[in-house]
Amino acid sequence: MKIGYNWLKSYVNIDCDLATLCDKLTMAGIEVEGIEAAAGVPEGVVVAKIMERKPHPDSDHMSVCQVFDGSETLQVVCGAPNCDAGKVVPLAKIGTVFNTPEGSFKIKRSKLRGVESCGMMCAADEIGVPGGHDGLLELDETLELGRPVAELFPGDATLELELTPNRPDWLSHVGIARDVACLLKSKLVMPEIVLPQVENPEQIENLVTVDAPDLCKCYGARIIRNVKIQPSPDWMQERLISAGLRPINNVVDVTNYVMLELGQPLHAFDLDKLEGKRIVVRRAANGEVIKTLDGIDRKLDERALVICDAVKPMAIAGVMGGEDSGVSENTTDLLIESAIFDASNIRATSRRIGLSTDASYRYERGVDFDGCDRAADRCAQLILETAGGNIATDLIKVSSMRPEEPVVKCRFDRIRSLVGVTLSNDEIVDILRRLELKVDNVSDADCVVTAPLFRLDLTREADLAEEVARINGLDNIPEVRVRSTVVDTIRNDTYYRIQQLREELLRLGMFECMHYSMVKESSALSDPRFTGDDLVKIGNPMSLDLAVLRPSLLGEMLESVERNIARRNLSLRLFEIGRSFCKNAALFPEERQSVALVLTGSRHPERYSAELSECYDFYDIKGIVESLCEMRRIADWHFEIVEDARFTGKKGLALYIDGKNAGVMGELNKSYTAKWRTNNAVFYAEIEVASLMDAKLQPESLIPVSTFPATTRDVAFIKPATLTHAEIVKFVNNIHLKNLEKIELFDLFADAKTLGENKESAAYRLTFRAKDRTLTDDEVNKAYNKLRDRLAADLKVELR
Amino acid sequence: MANQIVEAIEKALTDAQVRLTAATAPDAVEAVRIDLLGRKGLLPALSKQMGSIPPEERGITGKAFNTAREKLQAMLDEALTRLNSAAESEAAGIDLTLPGRRMAVGHKHPVVKVIDECAEIFRRMGFMVAEGPEIEQVYFNFDALNTPQDHPSRDPGDTFYFPDGRLLRTQTSPVQIRVMESHEPPVRIVAPGRCFRRDTPDATHSMNFHQIEGLYIDKNVSLADLKAVLRNFATEMFGPEVRIRTRPHFFPFTEPSVEYDFSCIMCGGKGCNVCKQSGWLEIAGAGMVDPNVLKNVGYDPEIWSGFAFGFGIERLAMMRYRIADIRWLYENDVRFLAQF
Repeated sequence: MKIGYNWLKSYVNIDCDLATLCDKLTMAGIEVEGIEAAAGVPEGVVVAKIMERKPHPDSDHMSVCQVFDGSETLQVVCGAPNCDAGKVVPLAKIGTVFNTPEGSFKIKRSKLRGVESCGMMCAADEIGVPGGHDGLLELDETLELGRPVAELFPGDATLELELTPNRPDWLSHVGIARDVACLLKSKLVMPEIVLPQVENPEQIENLVTVDAPDLCKCYGARIIRNVKIQPSPDWMQERLISAGLRPINNVVDVTNYVMLELGQPLHAFDLDKLEGKRIVVRRAANGEVIKTLDGIDRKLDERALVICDAVKPMAIAGVMGGEDSGVSENTTDLLIESAIFDASNIRATSRRIGLSTDASYRYERGVDFDGCDRAADRCAQLILETAGGNIATDLIKVSSMRPEEPVVKCRFDRIRSLVGVTLSNDEIVDILRRLELKVDNVSDADCVVTAPLFRLDLTREADLAEEVARINGLDNIPEVRVRSTVVDTIRNDTYYRIQQLREELLRLGMFECMHYSMVKESSALSDPRFTGDDLVKIGNPMSLDLAVLRPSLLGEMLESVERNIARRNLSLRLFEIGRSFCKNAALFPEERQSVALVLTGSRHPERYSAELSECYDFYDIKGIVESLCEMRRIADWHFEIVEDARFTGKKGLALYIDGKNAGVMGELNKSYTAKWRTNNAVFYAEIEVASLMDAKLQPESLIPVSTFPATTRDVAFIKPATLTHAEIVKFVNNIHLKNLEKIELFDLFADAKTLGENKESAAYRLTFRAKDRTLTDDEVNKAYNKLRDRLAADLKVELR
Repeated sequence: MANQIVEAIEKALTDAQVRLTAATAPDAVEAVRIDLLGRKGLLPALSKQMGSIPPEERGITGKAFNTAREKLQAMLDEALTRLNSAAESEAAGIDLTLPGRRMAVGHKHPVVKVIDECAEIFRRMGFMVAEGPEIEQVYFNFDALNTPQDHPSRDPGDTFYFPDGRLLRTQTSPVQIRVMESHEPPVRIVAPGRCFRRDTPDATHSMNFHQIEGLYIDKNVSLADLKAVLRNFATEMFGPEVRIRTRPHFFPFTEPSVEYDFSCIMCGGKGCNVCKQSGWLEIAGAGMVDPNVLKNVGYDPEIWSGFAFGFGIERLAMMRYRIADIRWLYENDVRFLAQF
C-alpha cells in the first residue's frame, strides 16, 4: 500500500525525520519497502509572464508568445489554448531536463513550423503537479518572475508499505497514523467531521433492501443532490497522487480519498441511473452478467453479491461498480454507498472473477464495522465541500447485528514469559492503551482487554503478547544463552543415516547431483519398469514438461549426463540420493529414497597416454557398489544376474542384501546413449536406500589376525567361457577345504588359437593358514590335491 | 726399518690412489682391484716374496700387508660410491612435474552442504533432524498449521495438488505437526527438506526448493530463547560479526510472529545490490507456536509453549557461494559441482 508522507503528517505529529520514521515502522511490523520522493518540478522551470500572444503564421492552433522570465524576454511557440497575454505560467527554459517514464528529454532551441521557440510553457501534469493537462498551469499573478516553480510545490514522499494480511486496520492513512502515534508516544488527530443539519430530509420508502444479510452486515446510503462534477481541489489531487491514485473528478476523488483516509471503501452511484431509485443487495442470479467500470462483461453466479437497482445489477458488491452506475460529467444527484460486506465472500468473488480492486483488497481483509457511518459522513462533508449540492436524506442504514468486540484476559506473567522480557504490569497496560485498546479490571495478576472492532485480530492472549513485543521493540528482547537439552537420541535421527551414506559415496569420489522431483512424462518413462499408470501425476502442473513425479532417478540423471556430454564434460562420476514416487503399490511404495550412480569416460582424465585412454568399465561401477557394502559393513550381500531392459544385453547385475533385491547395475543400453556425443559406455546403478539402511551388519567384535605364516598354492585350468567366476568360487567354497583362508583370481585370458573357441584360461591363488600353528606342506598339499581332483572331476575343467 | 716389500706395498697404494682418483667408470675401479688384489695381482705376488726377507722383519711386513688390504678396500669403496652417486644424479630421468595419479575426490552438492551445515549447527544446540513425506495431506500442510480455509497459499495457483486432494508440501512445517503428533513434549527438532510451489522459474525462483524448519516446545519457552538460537545460528553460519534484527510479521501458525534479518553478508551492512541498499537480508520467518497449532496436536498451550522458525536453503547457498542463478543448482554441470 502507498502512503503519502505529507498526508500522513496531517493526523499525527511526527517529530523525527523520514528515515527514522520508516525504520521505526519497519521494526513495528509495518514494513517500508520503499521510499519514493515525489518526482518534483524539474530544475529550470521558472515563473514567467506571457507579455504578448500572436497567432502562428503557419498553424491554426499554435501561438507565438513573448514571455518574460524576470530577466529576459523569450519567444516561445505554444499549442495551449490559454496562453493569453498577462498570464503567469511555468516556463521550462532551454536546458531543462524532463524525466518521464518513457525516458528523459531536454528542452532545446528549436523551430516549430518555421518559427523559433526558446523554451516550453507547461501544463500541470507536465511538471508533475496537480491541475491536469487542460492548458497551461496558471500561476498566481503576484508571484515573483524567474522564481523556480519547484519552490511552489514542496517535496512530498510516498511510502511503499508491505502489510501483513492480519492488519486490515493499516490499510488507511489514519490506521498507519494510529500506530505512528503509539510508537512515537504522540497523539492521533482524527479529521474533524461536521455535517450541516439536513432540513426536511426526503423520505424514500424502501430505498435500501438487503436480501442477503449474511453477506452484507451493514448497508448505509445517503442521497446528495445538485452536485457539480468538476476536478477536485489541488490539495486533494496532491494527496491522491502521493498515495498512488490518479485523480478523476471531485466525487470519485472524494470516495477514494475517504477510503485512503479511513479505510472504508465507498461507492457513488448516479441516482438518475438507478431505476426505481432504490438499492437491492442480493445474491446474483446464476449466469447474470454485469459490465464493470473497466468495460468487461463479468458473468456471475449465485455465490456473488450484487448491488442492484429495482431491475438490474449496478455493481459487484465490494469489488467494482457497473459501467452504467458511475458518476459522469452530467451527474447531479448521488447515492453514496458505505457498506460492510462479508470478507470471505468478497475474497472468493474477487478471486473467481479475477478482479482485485482497492475496495476488494480492503473488504477481503475486513473493514471496521464501527467506521462505516463515520466514513459516510466524511464523504458527504467532502462532497459538499468540493462539489456543492445538498444532503437530501439522512444516512439510511440497513444493518444486522453489530459484531461483538473481542474480550481477552491478559495475564501479565504469561505475556512476560511468552515474550521473554521483564516489562512491568504498568508498562504492559500502557502499551495496550496506547494502541486504543480498552483495558479494564487491572489487578496485580491480570487485566481484561477489549479490542475495538478494527482490531478483530486480537482474540487471544498470544495476540496481546505480540502487540506488547512489537511496540516494546523486538530488538529489546534480552540476549539469553541457548537453552540446550537432549530430547531424543541420534538413533532416531533419520537424516543422520542419510548423511553417513552420502559421506561414504563422497569418499568413493562421487559428485553429488540434484534434480527436480517433477519431470516430463517421457523422462519418467525412460525407466521401462514403469508405465503411465504407475506415475504420480500432478493435478495442476505448471507445464507438461513438469507434470509427473519421477518414478526413479534414471530419467533426470540421463538428462544431466547428456547435458554434461554436450558441454564436453566427458568424464563423469555422479550420484544422487533422492526420492522417487510411484502409484503402483505392487511395484514400489509411494515415496522411496534411492541412490543413483553414474560412471562414464576416462578413469584418469588428469593423466596422459595409455592411462588417459583407460575408460571406466562395468567393474568400476560394480567396485563402487562393493566398496559401499564394505564401508557399511553389510553382513549379507551378493550379486545375481537379472533381466533388465535398461542395460546392454538386457542384463543387469542385481545387488541382493539379506536375500532381497536392493538394486541393479549395468552398462546403459545404446538406445539411451546413441545420440550423445560420446563413444564412451555409460554405467548406471540404482540402489534402494531402505535396503542399505535396514541391512544386517557384521558383528562389531574384532576377529584376531593370525600371526602364523600362510602357504599359497596356485591352480590354473582351461574352462568354458560360460563357467563364471562366481560359480567357480562358490564351487571351491562348497568343498570346505581345511584351513583355506581365501581364493583369488590372479589371471584370466581367452585366446582362440591356443585355447580354442569359447575357452578361457583361469588361474587362482589359494591361501591356506591356521589360527594356531604353522601348516605343514603335507596338510596343504592334501587340501590342494583334493581341490584339483574335484575341479577336474566335477567342474570338468582342464587342469594345466 | 722398511724393507723392499714394504716399500713396494706403499708404492702400490700410492699408484692405486692415483688411478682411482682418475677413474670415471666402475670398470676402472674393478681393474685396480684385480691388479692389486686379484689372484695374479700385485699384493699376492709380493706376499710370495715373504720368504726372502729376514725373519725379524716378517712381523712388520705382515702388518703392512694387512693395513694395505684394508686401506685399499676403503679406497675402492670410496671410488665406487663416488662413481655410483654421480651416475645416479645423471640418471634422475623422471619429470617430477608430470600430473600425479589422483584419487577420486567426491563433491557434495552446495544445497546439501548448506543443509548439512545447518543440521550440524542445530544439532550442537540439542536439536535432532526429522523428516517427512513430500506428498503431503492438506491437514498437515495447512489445516493443522492454523491456515484459514481461504488463505491464498492454499490456492491451486500457488500449490501443486494431486487428483486425490493431497498436495506437494509447500513448506517443511508439516513435519512439525507429524513430530508433535507422535511425540510427547519436549520436542526439539529441525526438519530440512524439499518443498514445492507454483512459482514461475527465474534466476531466484524455483518451484522445487529446500527449506529447513526448527521447532522447540517445552515449558516456559519465550521469544528470548528463539532469539538466542537464531543469534547462535547466525554466528556459526556467517561469523561473529553478523548482526541480527527482529521484525514483527504475520504467519498463521505462529503468534507472535517475527522475521529475522541478518546484516548483509556481502557488504557487511553498508548497503549493496544484494541487500537492495538496506544493509539487511531477510533470512528467517519465525515466532511462538500459535496456541491453535498446539491444541491441534493435543498439547495444552497453558503448559507448553515453544517457537518455530524456517528459512530457505537455496537463498543461503546462493549468497554464500555467490551463485547468481538458482537454476544452476539443478543443472549438475561437473565444472560447477567440482567447486564444492
